[in-house]
Amino acid sequence: MRVSLPAKLNTGFAWVLLVLLIAPALVAIPVSLTPKTFLSFPTDELSLQYYRELFSSPEWLSSFAQSTVIGAVSTLLATTIGTLCAIGLWRVSSPAGEVVRSVLLLPLVVPPIIAAMAFSRLFVPLGLIDSYTGLILAHTVLSAPLVLITVSASLAGFDARLEQASRNLGASNWVTLRRVIVPGIRPGILAGAVFAFISSWDEIVVTLFLSKFSVYTLPRRMWNGIRENTDPTVAAAAVVLMAITLLAFAIWALAARRTRPAA
Amino acid sequence: MTSPSGSLHLMSLSKRYGSFTAVDNVSLHIEKGEFLTLLGPSGSGKTTLLMMIAGFQDISQGDILLGGVSIAQTPAEKRNFGMVFQGYALFPHMSVHDNIAYPLSVRRRPKAEIDARVAEMLDLVRLNGFAKRLPKELSGGQQQRVALARALCFAPPVLLLDEPLGALDKKLRVEVQAQLKEIHRRVGTTFVYVTHDQEEALSMSDRIVIMQNGRIEQVGTPADLYQHPKTAFAASFLGKSNFLHRDGAVFALRPEKIDLSPEGQGIGANKASGVVLSVTYFGAVLKYQVAVPGIDPIEVDVDAWRAGQVLPEGARVDLTWADSAAVRLSDHSL
Repeated sequence: MRVSLPAKLNTGFAWVLLVLLIAPALVAIPVSLTPKTFLSFPTDELSLQYYRELFSSPEWLSSFAQSTVIGAVSTLLATTIGTLCAIGLWRVSSPAGEVVRSVLLLPLVVPPIIAAMAFSRLFVPLGLIDSYTGLILAHTVLSAPLVLITVSASLAGFDARLEQASRNLGASNWVTLRRVIVPGIRPGILAGAVFAFISSWDEIVVTLFLSKFSVYTLPRRMWNGIRENTDPTVAAAAVVLMAITLLAFAIWALAARRTRPAA
Repeated sequence: MTSPSGSLHLMSLSKRYGSFTAVDNVSLHIEKGEFLTLLGPSGSGKTTLLMMIAGFQDISQGDILLGGVSIAQTPAEKRNFGMVFQGYALFPHMSVHDNIAYPLSVRRRPKAEIDARVAEMLDLVRLNGFAKRLPKELSGGQQQRVALARALCFAPPVLLLDEPLGALDKKLRVEVQAQLKEIHRRVGTTFVYVTHDQEEALSMSDRIVIMQNGRIEQVGTPADLYQHPKTAFAASFLGKSNFLHRDGAVFALRPEKIDLSPEGQGIGANKASGVVLSVTYFGAVLKYQVAVPGIDPIEVDVDAWRAGQVLPEGARVDLTWADSAAVRLSDHSL
């Protein structure tokens, strides 16, 4: 089949864009394999010493653990809150509800630095600075809107008669939610959870404002690593971070394919 | 588990949306075990009325009694009414077995009882062997039967059906109509059936309620409504009718109650002469359009096998009918 010139240009442009978007991230891979003691491209030989360093340093391992705990707990909270919000707004479906929805989506629109200042001002008197609770709360607020969006998209394609059928057959609201609605919108919930985890996993701006000594997430350690010395361990950490992010996406993509609703 | 009474009283029910009245002061008594059909064009309020009975629409005014007890304030999940939805609304992630078992499992019945009851239901709708399938693996007709089994599984006193055959093709519909009628006879549940299809209404119902603009136009048995329509709307929505003006009144005259003969040969209490406009062969019947001076063309159905000769277009004919054939309507003009 012949492809027209504009179509070819379009394809070419898409590839250039893709490379521009991905290349900077991929740079971390060769840099992480350098044998030298500073951030640089490897020239003669490759070395895994910084991966060894990454996985044997108590500081780095502790940061991994902290990011994982904060990410997991805030994902759980954000997914629960975001899903319930989306279902509530779907049920009400009124103009007033749409106003509430825009307010709930605000954390996505507000620049992170503003959000960071707001959290910091709020958390100081509450004693939540430099605590797991504080960071988990902040990350939950930032990622719940992502869940709201993906779950709302799933609900848009959900047959409201299924809910009526469930209630007609004698199921309470709670049972209907658990047995009919949630299974019906599972792909949206799963996507929201993946996005929420990723957003917490690599969040830096708010984290910088809210943590001092005791909480030290992975992005924060990388930030310090780059600022204070040019330790190539940062590049190795970046590669691991990307790998885990990709893994989360892969899990979601596979799960979404399996639970794709019937045509 | 069965409620002792399945009789429904609708008392002056109304449903308003702002200034629009979807259901307008409807009163109706539905007997226990009856097959009652709400028949009307779209926008006649029949589905809204059904949704009010189901508990999915609040009532603006009036009351609903089940066995003499008001259920107007009872939420849908506590009304214990079975319902077959338009498009069936089967749970797509559950097997046929789990769909049918759903009303029993939410009532926390023991597993053995559920399994026995589901098997009984599969038998009733002739779907044995399909228990493990997902809804998407079934044909439209099979899905319809699963929806029916699910709605009847908990032995509800009343079954509500919202255009359940709408998605099926014509041949399958006739088959399913017979099955539905048979199932109704076997379970003895009160059926309230919504449709816009007059053939479905005529072939299955004990009584038909003809609705228009949110109001009840006429209620009666199929034969009663067909033989004695009270309004022009009833006469033309259920079957076909010719309308005649006589002595300041309007009469409905069914096409099959008119005899057609060559000019000069017609004998009957009532007679009109005209010219054949068209004749169409339908196998069982010949449909004539006859132009009669001064009134609208008259439609006449003649049994094809009785008709000695087909009278061609342009032939002059006599139309005759018995006094009892023309039914006087309450309308004064059309």
